[in-house]
Amino acid sequence: MPIEITMPRLSDTMEVGTILQWHVKIGDEVSAGDLLADIETDKATMELQSFDDGKVKELIVPEGNPVNVGTIIATLIEEDDVDGGSSESQEVAPEVSASVEEPSTADNSAVEQIAQVESSTTTHSPTSGGTRVSPVARRLAEEYGVNLTAVQGSGPSGRIIKRDILQFVATTSETTAAAETTKVSTTEVIQGTVPATPVTAVQPLAPTSPWQQERTVPLSNMRQIIAKRLVESKQTIPHYQVTMDFDMDPLIEMRKTLNQQLATAGVKLSVNDFLVRCCALAMATNPAFNASFGGDCIQYHGPVNVGIAIALPEERGGGLVVATIRNADQKSLRTISQESAYLSKKARETGLSIEEMGDTTFTISNLGMFGVDNFTAIINPPNSAILAVGAAIEKPVVRNGELAVGREMSATLSLDHRVIDGAMAAMYLKTLKELIENPASLLV
Amino acid sequence: MSVATGERVIEFRDALREAMSEEMRNDTRVFLLGEEVAQYDGAYKVSKGMLDEFGERRVIDTPISESGFSGMAIGAAMRGLRPIVEFMSWSFSLVAADPILNNAAKMLYMSGGQFGCPIVFRGNDGAGGQLASTHSWSVESLYANVPGIKMAIPYDAYDAKGLLKTAIQDDNPVFFLESERLLSTTAHVPEEAYTIPFGKALTRRVGTDCTIISFGRPLHFCLEAAEELAKEGIDCEVIDGRTIRPLDIDSMVTSVKKTSACVVVDQSWSFASVGSEIASQIHAFCFDDLDNHVYRVHSDDVPTPYAYNLEQAYLPNSRKICEAVRQATYNA
Repeated sequence: MPIEITMPRLSDTMEVGTILQWHVKIGDEVSAGDLLADIETDKATMELQSFDDGKVKELIVPEGNPVNVGTIIATLIEEDDVDGGSSESQEVAPEVSASVEEPSTADNSAVEQIAQVESSTTTHSPTSGGTRVSPVARRLAEEYGVNLTAVQGSGPSGRIIKRDILQFVATTSETTAAAETTKVSTTEVIQGTVPATPVTAVQPLAPTSPWQQERTVPLSNMRQIIAKRLVESKQTIPHYQVTMDFDMDPLIEMRKTLNQQLATAGVKLSVNDFLVRCCALAMATNPAFNASFGGDCIQYHGPVNVGIAIALPEERGGGLVVATIRNADQKSLRTISQESAYLSKKARETGLSIEEMGDTTFTISNLGMFGVDNFTAIINPPNSAILAVGAAIEKPVVRNGELAVGREMSATLSLDHRVIDGAMAAMYLKTLKELIENPASLLV
Repeated sequence: MSVATGERVIEFRDALREAMSEEMRNDTRVFLLGEEVAQYDGAYKVSKGMLDEFGERRVIDTPISESGFSGMAIGAAMRGLRPIVEFMSWSFSLVAADPILNNAAKMLYMSGGQFGCPIVFRGNDGAGGQLASTHSWSVESLYANVPGIKMAIPYDAYDAKGLLKTAIQDDNPVFFLESERLLSTTAHVPEEAYTIPFGKALTRRVGTDCTIISFGRPLHFCLEAAEELAKEGIDCEVIDGRTIRPLDIDSMVTSVKKTSACVVVDQSWSFASVGSEIASQIHAFCFDDLDNHVYRVHSDDVPTPYAYNLEQAYLPNSRKICEAVRQATYNA
């Protein structure tokens, strides 16, 4: 019996994986632990190692073809299994794609065609392999711009059928509707500004740039997961927001001092590093902020793992990831800073591993470095809260009854009302304020 | 079929007679011949009273020799008359295969246009009810294979009259397939003359989820199945092709493009059949519109059983149609 190797689930949210590269070919002998392939998940590129010893019999899924978790991607035959397997594998052409996904043999399909109702109830053995899509489903997917790898097929052998696409479109129609509204209103604006003159090529309002070309770009794995999880978050979590301003003068002063004194030691603390520590320490008196809604319960987490949202550069396909500072409440500013810098660099350059981005219990999203004053964020499930942090900006403030110029930062919590009530949010922000405005306590 | 008060409702067999009688009154070249059509008023009383009206030169009893009287009628058609040949059953036409397929169907072609063959062959087709295997032929797939003929299959009395008048007026050989099981069914048939053109399908039920295509008697099973399926939330569109040659594939394609699913119901056997031809054309014309392959419901691939229960199970019944639609729409 051949050993079946299936597409593994490499993260909690992974449903589809793509083999970027096979590191073995048909006939290769492999031992447990040997590298078989590189697999791209929704979050990262991972190595697939063999769990068994044996000889590669088939590589069923070709490189670059996304398949569902659990799909058989290759088979091995055990060394002592001599039932003709080896001769068979010798004869199979080394070309990987040769063994791939023709749905059924000619005989089978002929039988299927003439099958009457009675006989057609006996199903033909499903062929493992790539995504199966009915013709009309494929056409509709194209029309709606649906990425088929994001759709779960409900037909036989996972075939994606018409209703799967229509359901998929229905669930994402909010986004589409919004996009269409934008399109329509743009047209109206153009027509409105040039009354009675049809918009023609003769008198273009603006030169046509490449970016104006209408086009459909398939979603990357990351974009799909962002789309799916954030819609889920926004639709299922009763969000509300609470904002507070913080006097940043003491913290910025202290940061300046520390960075000057420790420059030779390579320490360069960012404002965000302080905030990570503040948010983590504030959990001690506000444990609901380190908790998840569990349907019929609230799950309070032991470790305080603070996630930091990191925007990825355009040349890496854009998007964002959330890096995890584990046990942030137990780490010094210096450690947090080092970890944060390392994760941020790695995320932008090569991508993070599952360990480096999983298991967050609270998330911080900071757009201060882009000059944003304040904004609101969408909760990163299963967190109960996310802190959206704006820039520390100079503004007129009242200090001790006097008007002065001070640096203030606005931060907005988005909260899951099923776990955290308004007063609790206020309490947390108050704790945060005490820590931020009296930063000396962060040093001990 | 619901009928408004005051509208005339007649039997299928009377509608057939009205079509023949009207055409015989209008055109003296038209005459009827067949076994027991004159003295006995027809084995199924279709030609009742016609001998009295038209006389024995135009309503002719023949011996039991389908090959002989078919050949004679074809000769008459070649020389300018317009015969209607009644087969008591299409099952008996098999002994006349040479004249009807080799002579009638090919006359215009083989004579280089010198001789036409304006003739109608009509009679009962399909299982009549416990007539056993040799007398229960559904000949549509067998004969529709031959170029040069037209083939019409009426669903009810209204269509029977309209289609038969078109058949008699047509200058080509027309195979007109009636059903013994439908002869006593009734429908509204207007007093005034009308014809129904060949090659124009009729949507008998409008639906969105699956197109069911059929002809003649099985349409009744299709409509029954559609009502059953509606209870399950599957909304079927039922198309009556009305004529197999010419085939109104355009209407069928339009419907399948809408529903993305198709079941063809054909009471002949599945192998090399009208059903397989339609399925093939739907696959070709609707390839990018199909959500599943076309499903087909036929009589089972065995000689027609004599036993009542087996015959019912053998025919393309409502249960089989429901099952096929559920599968075609992924509701199985």
